Amino acid sequence: MVNRPEIIVEARNLAYHYPGEEATSFPALSGINVAVYRGEYLALIGPNGSGKTTLLKLFNALLVPSDGEVRVEGVSTIDEVEIPRIRRICGMIFQNPDNQLVATTVEEDIAFGLENLALPSAEIRQRVGEVARMLNLEHLLQQPPHLLSGGEKQRVAIAGVLAMQPGCILMDEPTAMLDTASRRDVNDMVRMLRQNHNIAVVHVTHFPEEAAFAERVIVLNQGRLVRQGPPKAVLTDLSLLHSLGLQSTAASELAALLREDGFELPSQLLHNRELVDSLCSLELKS
Amino acid sequence: MFIGTEKLTYTYMSGTPFAATALNEVSFSLGKGEITLIIGPSGSGKSTLIQHLNGLLKPSSGRVYFKGQAIGSDKGELLRLRRRIGLVFQIPEEHFFSETIYDEIAFAPRNLGLAESEVRIRVKDALEKVGLRAEQLQYRHPFQLSAGQKRLVAVASVLSMNPEVLILDEPTAGLDPSHRRNLFALLDNLNRSGGLTVIISTHHLDDVVALAHSVFVLQGGRMVLAGPPSEIFTTREKLYDLGLSLPSVTEIMHSVKEKGLPVKTNIYTLAGARQEINRLKGRPGR
Ligand SMILES: Nc1ncnc2c1ncn2[C@@H]1O[C@H](COP(=O)(O)OP(=O)(O)OP(=O)(O)O)[C@@H](O)[C@H]1O
Ligand SMILES: Nc1ncnc2c1ncn2[C@@H]1O[C@H](COP(=O)(O)OP(=O)(O)O)[C@@H](O)[C@H]1O
Ligand SMILES: [Mg+2]
Ligand SMILES: [Mg+2]
Repeated sequence: MVNRPEIIVEARNLAYHYPGEEATSFPALSGINVAVYRGEYLALIGPNGSGKTTLLKLFNALLVPSDGEVRVEGVSTIDEVEIPRIRRICGMIFQNPDNQLVATTVEEDIAFGLENLALPSAEIRQRVGEVARMLNLEHLLQQPPHLLSGGEKQRVAIAGVLAMQPGCILMDEPTAMLDTASRRDVNDMVRMLRQNHNIAVVHVTHFPEEAAFAERVIVLNQGRLVRQGPPKAVLTDLSLLHSLGLQSTAASELAALLREDGFELPSQLLHNRELVDSLCSLELKS
Repeated sequence: MFIGTEKLTYTYMSGTPFAATALNEVSFSLGKGEITLIIGPSGSGKSTLIQHLNGLLKPSSGRVYFKGQAIGSDKGELLRLRRRIGLVFQIPEEHFFSETIYDEIAFAPRNLGLAESEVRIRVKDALEKVGLRAEQLQYRHPFQLSAGQKRLVAVASVLSMNPEVLILDEPTAGLDPSHRRNLFALLDNLNRSGGLTVIISTHHLDDVVALAHSVFVLQGGRMVLAGPPSEIFTTREKLYDLGLSLPSVTEIMHSVKEKGLPVKTNIYTLAGARQEINRLKGRPGR
């Protein structure tokens, strides 16, 4: 038997125009063909206004295509009766941690979506307990969400989505508004999810250091998909990134400058550790 | 003292069981034309401090000074103060009040009694300075924008006021690298050419530390460190203990040094790092 990766979300010839768009600007999205595979960790990058948020909203049926289609586990998002199921399969995490928690305790918040599914309460309790253990939130279950740090709020939001046993989690700049410690916290958690081969993560980010940890990177520009591939290929293509006003990791940018100066450094270097190690081994040779 | 505080203390919901002291005897003083960074984990009091500086919050005790004068509570005076000390809020969309982006940015110039033809020029100019194209979006509702575009519009609407002091609360959250660098270049330029005083709170230090004359570090409502960047970023342990980070490039230099190569670590730009590594190793000959 051939082991083909299973597609969770697929966009075909997808286009989207916002009602307010002027004739002078490009459509928010056009001609997008892309698939998200089960269990993969996908980073979505691109300049401000390139269509990243719009694409996530089309993936979980918050928006419906102007042209083309989006299918979630094979079902088109145009089909209104399927929307609850689509949102369960594709959960979304937003940038602002303060806008997503609704209940009076963390526990109720995590259970919120499950209550709407009208599951038996024993099952709800069991699932909430499971994700709370997984995300290390057990000690916070009785806390009111507004007393949590930004990073904890994002973890609770992610727990609420995970409890729905989704196929895919869509994260729109989940760390943009967090401080350093919380950012690390959320990123560690996203990487932990990655070990779970049943859940795909689509992570929109302006931090090249975050995209560098993905398995695949997709680049949007002016509503079009302009590049996709592993981070080692996409994030080391500095001429592409720079032409779009984007950047690679500091290590990769610095390595490129040093290569111009004659330093012999590996061409696909992305992480700080790789740069530091290479620089030190150069020293040993010279 | 151009702008500063003396033993500024502030308690939210004072006199209730929920009272929370967000600032505790914070004192500092800034000269005209300085660029200052305020850093600190979330909840450390950055936004609370910032909102005192243009009179939006009133000290529970202590004082805030502008041009040698304590800020009082006279309504008319406060209104005039807020035109001279412009503030870009941490979550800009919570503060939009106009139906179009044009009106949002035109508010301040109209208040100055300028003719609409002049206002139009100012709006276009402010949008272009932050890297947005007026004809593409000025007649949209401020909500009909991407996350990064909203933040840029908020900056433009304060710039159009021509303030003497510009305060930005986490201005780069959600900005792509080129809009971030453009914003910092703009601030640097206004500072050098017009003596604009700038205060920036941020978790992301890339591209901004090189501009800063001073850095304040807040923790738990207290000012725990203050000094020029070269002092604040020389040791990383203290910052790590506070849950803070360094600029990516500085981080790399510290790691290189830790591995035994004698590099300077007070380096905040790629160009600086490139030069320092070249100085250390010379050009590897071939
Ligand atoms: N509600 C709306 N009405 C009209 N146009 C919109 C609306 N929301 C977004 N747009 C436009 O659609 C385009 C894509 O926006 P989108 O929010 O998807 O960008 P993004 O890649 O997420 O950007 P950012 O990095 O700034 O969050 C932009 O040109 C934006 O101005
Ligand atoms: N509107 C408010 N009501 C009550 N407490 C608040 C309010 N705003 C901030 N605080 C509290 O004040 C402290 C400082 O918050 P803030 O100034 O927002 O910090 P920062 O901007 O550094 O993240 C925190 O403990 C926070 O919970
Ligand atoms: Mg977005
Ligand atoms: Mg704040």
